[in-house]
Amino acid sequence: MITVRGLSKKFKAFEAVKRISFEAREGEVLGLLGENGAGKTTTLRMLATMLKPTEGTAEINGFDLLKQPDRVRGEIGILFGGEVGIYDRLTARENIRYFAELNNMEGSAIDKRIDELADMLDMKDYIDKRVGKFSRGMKQKVSIARAIVHNPKVMLFDEPTSGLDVTSTRIIHEFIEDCRKQGKIIIFSSHTMSEVEKLCDRIVIIHKGVIVADGDIPTLRKHFNNEDLEDVFIELVGGKR
Amino acid sequence: MNLKHVFIVFKKELIDMFRDKKTIISSILIPILIFPVMYGFMGFSTKKLIKDTQEKGIEVAIKAEDNNSSIVKFLKERKELKIVDADDAVGALRKGTVKVIIFVGSGFDDAVKDGKPVPLTVQYDDTNQTSTMGEGMVREIIGQFSSEIVSQRLQEKGIDPAIINPVNIIEKKLGPQNNQDNGMGLMIFSMLLPLMLAIYSASSVLPAATDNGAGEKERGTLEPLLTTQANRLSLLMGKYFAITVAGIIGTLASMVGLFIAQKFNPEILGQGNVFSISTVIIIALATVSLTLIFAALELAVSIYARSFKEAQTYLSPITIVAMVPAFAVYMIDPKNIPIGYFNIPIVNIVCIMKELIVSIVNPLHIIIAFAWAIIYIIIAIMFARYMFTRESVVFRV
Repeated sequence: MITVRGLSKKFKAFEAVKRISFEAREGEVLGLLGENGAGKTTTLRMLATMLKPTEGTAEINGFDLLKQPDRVRGEIGILFGGEVGIYDRLTARENIRYFAELNNMEGSAIDKRIDELADMLDMKDYIDKRVGKFSRGMKQKVSIARAIVHNPKVMLFDEPTSGLDVTSTRIIHEFIEDCRKQGKIIIFSSHTMSEVEKLCDRIVIIHKGVIVADGDIPTLRKHFNNEDLEDVFIELVGGKR
Repeated sequence: MNLKHVFIVFKKELIDMFRDKKTIISSILIPILIFPVMYGFMGFSTKKLIKDTQEKGIEVAIKAEDNNSSIVKFLKERKELKIVDADDAVGALRKGTVKVIIFVGSGFDDAVKDGKPVPLTVQYDDTNQTSTMGEGMVREIIGQFSSEIVSQRLQEKGIDPAIINPVNIIEKKLGPQNNQDNGMGLMIFSMLLPLMLAIYSASSVLPAATDNGAGEKERGTLEPLLTTQANRLSLLMGKYFAITVAGIIGTLASMVGLFIAQKFNPEILGQGNVFSISTVIIIALATVSLTLIFAALELAVSIYARSFKEAQTYLSPITIVAMVPAFAVYMIDPKNIPIGYFNIPIVNIVCIMKELIVSIVNPLHIIIAFAWAIIYIIIAIMFARYMFTRESVVFRV
């Protein structure tokens, strides 16, 4: 379980995230919905221990973000959106192995896990080839394998489908579904309503660093007396219908 | 810091680096080839120039009032001069078909006979290398002519011509103990080698430092890396050691290139230099210490940069940082280096190398320089660590 308590982040005078609190549970996809610059990425970066909160903390499967950052990192896997950042001069196997080793995996367990992932993500044909000339979809699969090689219990997705074509987007969506089935805790940030509606069990709407709504989609629709989630979102962030 | 993580990062970065054709070309191939090619061409063109001059002779136009004068006859007899008839001698000199013009005034022989000084004008083109060389040759030939006349005059007066050389200097070089004739070679070597090693130490880590900091950011691989269980210091140190090794390999490649070039053109670094194993080891350690300092500094700057291009812009001046202190002591006499110099960064390492090359092994100087080097390395690593742990630097927020 993830428990976020009064988490804040200030960059000089700018407060990107303001005392937010929420929870995420096993087998649940929590959508972090907000406009660009709302504070979604900053929140996920704090949960991944890449940024240190200015105030507040979070507990991830019992490990405190501030006191046990190394343990927290052992619990999480993170997938970023935009360009897939992998090492072009290494093979897919070497890329995945590098992250497995840095996540304290050893010996034959690594090879076994890589073979398992290659099978699961249908990468067997190119697992030992250098990734430089891979298609975007193939690279996306390598980055997924890299993120879950250490079998994390928590998956953080930071706008993972941003800029992806239909095929690559489907790979990600299927992967999120698999994670849900495996009972992982999933936080999925996005600004695309249809994607959030399709994948998430519950959503947290964040606007200018503040949580303006937290609940499951039917409850939000009922509360705002509107079937269209986009309208609900626009109403919450103060835009015009 | 987790040493296992450090080694994992180190190993991965080395594999990644040496699979990159750009790194192989810029860090190994170019440094090995640049000096042999450069000095090869230089040597070839110089040899060709000398050969052409010796075989064909220098084209000289003589403008004399009396073509039967003794000086004209003397010049025409010289094989190294090719006398050319040119109506417009100055125009021919400008075109390069004539290299030197000699103007002989009227009454040359009469003036010589009367023992009066005779003016003789030699015109050449100082923008033309062959013409400049030709002027030297002509000056030497005319000098021989003058000496003959002086000798004749003295003999006519019954005086031994040897009287004009009252002191006969016998030159004897001290040189190094193991190579008495090679002082000049060592002097050149003591000036050039430390300078080059200092510059290489800064420049050879540059491609790897750029790739490991800003390159990692630009590729989008830094963020996933920061979410692994390896802490930042381990990641940083793994990268740091990989960059240092790349830098040392680059410096070695440059040195190999330099020594190959010396085979073509032995004057580059002085001839026949032989050093003891301990000297070579201390010079190597000094070079490694410089590489360690520059690797940390350049990695820190590269981490700060947002992109590859930005990193290159920031890092290029660092080579100048190495060049300035190295040039500042370029001409210093290795036998009289003030002790204060051994406390100045980079200068101290360069001075140690200079001393060692001329066989001075001063333990106090070596200890002071290396103690400071260790301090500088620690400061540079702390600076890199500070940069790598600063959110505002890593994420540029």
